[in-house]
Amino acid sequence: MTFSKRSLITLVILSIITASVYYFFTQKGITYIWHWEKIPEMLFYYGSKSADDPTPKFRMGVLMMGFVLTLKISVFSIFFGIIIGTVVGIARLSHEPVTRGLSLSYVELVRNTPLLVQIYIIYFFVGSILRLSAFAAGTAALSIFAGAYVGEIVRAGIQSIHKGQMEASRSLGMSYGRAMRHIVLPQAFKRIIPPLAGQFISLIKDSSLVSVIALADLMFQAQQAFARTYYAFEIYFTVALLYLVMTFTLSMATQYIERRLAISD
Amino acid sequence: MIEARNVHKTFRTPDRKEVKALVNFSTHVNKGEVVVIIGPSGSGKSTFLRCLNRLDEIDSGEIIIDGVNIYDKKININKIREEIGMVFQLFNLFPHKTVLENVTLAQQVVRKRNKGEAFEVARGLLHKVGIPEKENVYPSQLSGGQQQRVAIARALAMHPKIMMFDEATSALDPEMIGEVLDVMKTLAREGMTMVVVTHEMGFAREVSDRVIFMDAGQIVEEGTAEHFFTNPVHERTKLFLSQIL
Repeated sequence: MTFSKRSLITLVILSIITASVYYFFTQKGITYIWHWEKIPEMLFYYGSKSADDPTPKFRMGVLMMGFVLTLKISVFSIFFGIIIGTVVGIARLSHEPVTRGLSLSYVELVRNTPLLVQIYIIYFFVGSILRLSAFAAGTAALSIFAGAYVGEIVRAGIQSIHKGQMEASRSLGMSYGRAMRHIVLPQAFKRIIPPLAGQFISLIKDSSLVSVIALADLMFQAQQAFARTYYAFEIYFTVALLYLVMTFTLSMATQYIERRLAISD
Repeated sequence: MIEARNVHKTFRTPDRKEVKALVNFSTHVNKGEVVVIIGPSGSGKSTFLRCLNRLDEIDSGEIIIDGVNIYDKKININKIREEIGMVFQLFNLFPHKTVLENVTLAQQVVRKRNKGEAFEVARGLLHKVGIPEKENVYPSQLSGGQQQRVAIARALAMHPKIMMFDEATSALDPEMIGEVLDVMKTLAREGMTMVVVTHEMGFAREVSDRVIFMDAGQIVEEGTAEHFFTNPVHERTKLFLSQIL
């Protein structure tokens, strides 16, 4: 079965399940007047924004703006998460006790405290010292959080590569760094794509926690829209779907990469 | 070319037992010489090879290669390793790289050769080891014998002064041992300095200049292949030979 066919089937099955659940609850007889017609304008609308910007044109609605911000935060956090995680993963295997100790402390500290608390600390404490914007603080918190988990995944990935690979590289005169870069890490990354994908899908969903520092991400915009309109069901169904679009795309992308990299197997 | 003096090496097993791998071990290898090291498993033969390029570190003594004490704190071990090719029992080819990339990578990143030059060297060597047609396949698509021949080409591509073989044929199916030994014999006849740990007595007999028999981290007996196989002196040597021949 081809890749696109499988993605399509997955999508169809997801839609059927969602539709059935939706149908089941509506048939249970809750009195609720649906206002689905209000949702499209929360995604896109045509018109003017304010007195300062009166030209009528196609504009993003609040949910779409939140979607874009969530996407931005997620992309940045995944990017920095990979960088931090790679450094930490290598540091965890260092022969230097200080490096090893520091990286282990980082991992333990981050993994054993709630992300929500970390976001508050970075925003209110670190953020006020370094004058970070909410966006910078939110992205930093998520990157640091992801870095710890990615670090452990990278470490396990490196350890799973047969030590003969490092020995062969070193016997050819490569330095430790070169052997890591050309030989060990590429093989390790290929092997850790599935757990990394899981981690980043979690990260996209966890990014909804940055709404607590008034960062106008998808979750924040949803809460605002709900407070204005009380269309709880419509808004949160839509929000769920928008998160699903991001995570599902990431999931498909990693599966694609995995298949591409399988050619040397 | 290689001079080992009073080398001691002790391993600590995970359950904290000490295993003496090399005990006051001294030997030398001259330029162009082919030395075969044989002995029962655990006798320290592979450890000795691995100490020659510091994949394992000695505890005391010294090893001098080409006039340089390789355990001197000031030397750059990567520079030393460029000159010593090593072939492993399990090939250790880079599975994510094609055959050609396996043979060209170190040339480019270590020897700083440009792509064209590296490719030319690689193609010449793949031809020499008899698999010129496989340059674009991945190691997983090759037989064990082919993989080991690529590994030899990869080591030779650095143009090393010494080649070490650590049981290069032990992991191969019997029908593939010959093709790898043939490459090794060609090398030996071309005058390459070689240190070979092997169980292939035919190879030792045919091309070695000297055979060293090791047991418990020490040299029990050494001499020409002829001396070794026709009239060994020590009881342990006789016992070992009777077991494997």
